[in-house]
Amino acid sequence: MSRPPGFSSGGGLPSLSSDDMCPVCKTIRYLNKDMEFLINPECYHSMCVNCVNRLFNDGPNQCPYAGCHKTLRRKGFRSAFFSDLSVEREVDIRRRVAAVFNQQEDDFETLRDYNDYLQMVEDLTFDLVWGSEAKRREAEATLMRWEAEHRAEIERNRKAGREADELHRRRLQAEREAARQRRLDALREAEEERRDRARSREAELDALAQAGTQQATDGTAQQRVQLKKRGQAANRAVDAAVAAAATAGDVGKLSIRGLKEKKKAPVAEGPYDPFGGMEFVPSRYRVREELNHPSLDKYRIDQQHITGGYSFLDYISRAMFEAFAGLAVFIEDEKEAGIGLSAGEVAGMSAGMAAVGDKMELD
Amino acid sequence: MASTIASEDARYRQSSQYELWSFSPSQLASMREKTNAAARARITERLLSMPNPSNTASAPTSSANTPDPDGVSTPTLPEFLTPAEELLLVTFYTAELLRAGDHADMSDEIKATAATFFKRFYITNSIMTYPPQEMLLVALFFGCKAEGAFPSISDFAKTFGRERPEEILAGEFLLCQGIRFALDVKHPFRALRGAIMELSTLPDVEPARLVAAEQRAREILRFSPLITDAYFHFTPSQIMLAALSLADRGLAERLIQDTFHYVAPQPSSGTDTPATSGVETPSGASASISLHKRTASPSSGSLEDKAAVIGSHVRDKVLGTIEACRDMLSKELPERREHWNNKTVYKAQIQPIRKKLNKCRDPDRWNLVELQRIRREQASRKGFDSDDEGEGRTKGGSLEDDAAVFGVPKKKKQLEDPFGPPLAG
Repeated sequence: MSRPPGFSSGGGLPSLSSDDMCPVCKTIRYLNKDMEFLINPECYHSMCVNCVNRLFNDGPNQCPYAGCHKTLRRKGFRSAFFSDLSVEREVDIRRRVAAVFNQQEDDFETLRDYNDYLQMVEDLTFDLVWGSEAKRREAEATLMRWEAEHRAEIERNRKAGREADELHRRRLQAEREAARQRRLDALREAEEERRDRARSREAELDALAQAGTQQATDGTAQQRVQLKKRGQAANRAVDAAVAAAATAGDVGKLSIRGLKEKKKAPVAEGPYDPFGGMEFVPSRYRVREELNHPSLDKYRIDQQHITGGYSFLDYISRAMFEAFAGLAVFIEDEKEAGIGLSAGEVAGMSAGMAAVGDKMELD
Repeated sequence: MASTIASEDARYRQSSQYELWSFSPSQLASMREKTNAAARARITERLLSMPNPSNTASAPTSSANTPDPDGVSTPTLPEFLTPAEELLLVTFYTAELLRAGDHADMSDEIKATAATFFKRFYITNSIMTYPPQEMLLVALFFGCKAEGAFPSISDFAKTFGRERPEEILAGEFLLCQGIRFALDVKHPFRALRGAIMELSTLPDVEPARLVAAEQRAREILRFSPLITDAYFHFTPSQIMLAALSLADRGLAERLIQDTFHYVAPQPSSGTDTPATSGVETPSGASASISLHKRTASPSSGSLEDKAAVIGSHVRDKVLGTIEACRDMLSKELPERREHWNNKTVYKAQIQPIRKKLNKCRDPDRWNLVELQRIRREQASRKGFDSDDEGEGRTKGGSLEDDAAVFGVPKKKKQLEDPFGPPLAG
C-alpha cells in the first residue's frame, strides 16, 4: 500500500463539496440529486458512484484522473468521512500507524522513554503525511520493517487494547446499570414513604374521629408508634444502602473512573516515626547530673522556676547538644560536594533573576 | 547507635541553617558576585528606561545625601559598587546593627539573630537594591520576634527615632523572603554554656579560669562571628570552640581531645580511665583524662562506627576546621568594635562608598514604604480580576512600571513565587 508518487505534486486534492460536479463524467448535482462521491484510498481522487460502477465493475482499472496511473478496484472505494480529503488521508495514515505502533505507557521504563517513543511515532507520521517523496518512502519502509519485526508484539498489544476496551465498556455499563438501579430504588422508596405517610395520617384521623373522647395520651402513644415505624423505615433504607454498597463491591471497586489500579498493597511500615528515624541518643557526650553551670544556681532556688516544674536537666541536655551538634559537619567540604542541597540546586538558587524567570516560564 | 554519623551532626544537618544558609567560601563569593551583577543589570536597565530620572519617589528615604542631579536625559550610568565594596558596607552596617541593638538593650540572641538575618538578606539582595539603614531596623525588629521577644512597634520605632512604624513594617515581608523564611538561627551562646559545663566536670581546671574563659569567649561570640562570615562557613559548635580557643586555647583543645578520644586500632587502650593523672598541661595534648566513659554509652555500635564518630582522625579534621574559624574570628576581635564605630574610619572608608551608593541605587526599590504600597495595590488588583491577568495589567499602571516593580521581564507574569525572588535576586 504505497502512496501515489505524484500525490503532493498533483496540486492538492480536490475538495468534495466545492463544486457539486463529478470531475470524471461532469455530471452535476442539479441533474442527479442523490449523487454520491466515492474515493479510493489509493489516490484519494473522488468520483461519483456512477463513474465508479461504470469504470470498475468489470474489474481493476486505471484511475480516470489525468496523470494518475493508479490501478483501482471497486472494492477499495468508499465515501469520505471528511470533506477535506487531505484530512481524510491523514486520518487513514494515522489509523494505520497507530495500529502498528500500539505500545502503552506501561511498556516503558520511564515517562521520558514513552515520550521519546511518542515523538518518534509522530515524526514518522508526519513524514508519511507531509514529507517529501524520499522521506515518505523512508518512513514507509520503517513502518513496514517495524510491522514485520514486531508482528507478535503488535498483535498482543492489540489484543490487550481490545480487552481493555472491552473491560472499560463493561465497567461503564455496570456502572450505568447500578446507577439506574439506584435511581429506581430511590423512586420506589420515596413512593413507599409517601404512601406510608398517607396511611398513617389516615389512621390518625380515623383514630381521632372514632375515639374523640379517648385520652390524648393514647393518641400520642400511637403517634409515637408511627414515628417509630417511620424511623424504622428510614433505618431500613440506610441498611439497604450499606448493603447495596457492599454488594456493589465487586462492581463498585471500579466505580472511580480514571483511577490507576494499584499493583499491590503497600507494605506495612510499622508505627509512624515523626522524626524519620533520627537518633536522639547523643554520641559524643553524656548528659549527667554533675553537669552544671554557675549561672544556673540562682534559678535552682528560684520559686518561679521550680514551681512551674522547670527541668534543669532539659536545659543542660540542650546546651550540651548545641555544644556538640555539628562539630564534625564540615560545611566547606560538604557544600562543595553537594551534601544537603545539591550543588546544582545551590547554583539554581543563586542564579540570577533573569535566569530563574526563564526557568519559571519553562515550568 | 549504628550509624557512622554522630546523631548530633545528623540533627544539625536537618536545620535550615545548614540546608539553606551554609556555603563554602567560594560559593558565597560567587553568590555575592552574582547578586552584584544582577543588581547592576537591573539598575542599569531601569535607569536607561527612565527618560528623566526624577528621584522624587525615592528621595524621602535617604536623609543624608541627596542624589546628585544627573537629571539630564543622557543615560550616563553611575559607577556601581563592586562586590567587595558591597561586602564592606554590609559589614559596616552589621556593626551598626549591633550598636543599635546595644542601644536598645537587646539580648545577645536577638542581636545575633538580627545580624544574621541582615547578612543573609544581603547575600541574595544587593545593597544597591534595598536600603541598608532601613533593613537594619527591620532585621532588628524581626530578630526580636524571631527570638520570642515582642516589642511594640511604636515603641521600637521611637527608640530609633522613626516617626512612622510603617517604615519598619514595610520591609518585614521582604526580609522574610530574603532569608528564605529560615527564621531559626542557631547560635553558639548556649553551646558555650554546654562546653563550660562539660569542662567544669574536669577535676584539674580551676573555676576561675573557666569563668574568665567563658566571659572572653562570650564577648567574642557577641561580635566576631557576626561581623565575619563565620555563620555561613561554620557550625555553631565550631564557632563556639573557635571563640573558646581564642579565649583560652588550652581549654578548647582539651575539650576536643577528650571528645574525639577514640583510638581505633587498639581497643584495649585506656581511653576510659577517669583517673586523675596528675598535672595536666594546659595544651591538653594528652587525652589521658577522659571526661566520661564513652564505652558505657547504651547504644554503642561497632568499632568502625565509633571511629567515624569520635575517632582521632575526625579530631584532626575538627581541629583544622576550628583553626580556620579561629583565624576568621581573630580578624574581627571585639576590640574592632572601636574600629567600625570610629569616625575617621567612617570618613575614610565608608563615606566614599556611601556616596557612590547614593548614585547607583535602585530607584524603584529604595523606598520600602512606597514599594510595599505598590505591591499591595498590585496584589489587590490581581485578586480582583483573579485569572484575567492581561486585563489587570492594562487597567492600572503601564506594563513597564509593573515590570520594574517586580523586577521581572515583562512577559513573565506568572504567579509570584511565595518564597520570593530567587536567592541571588
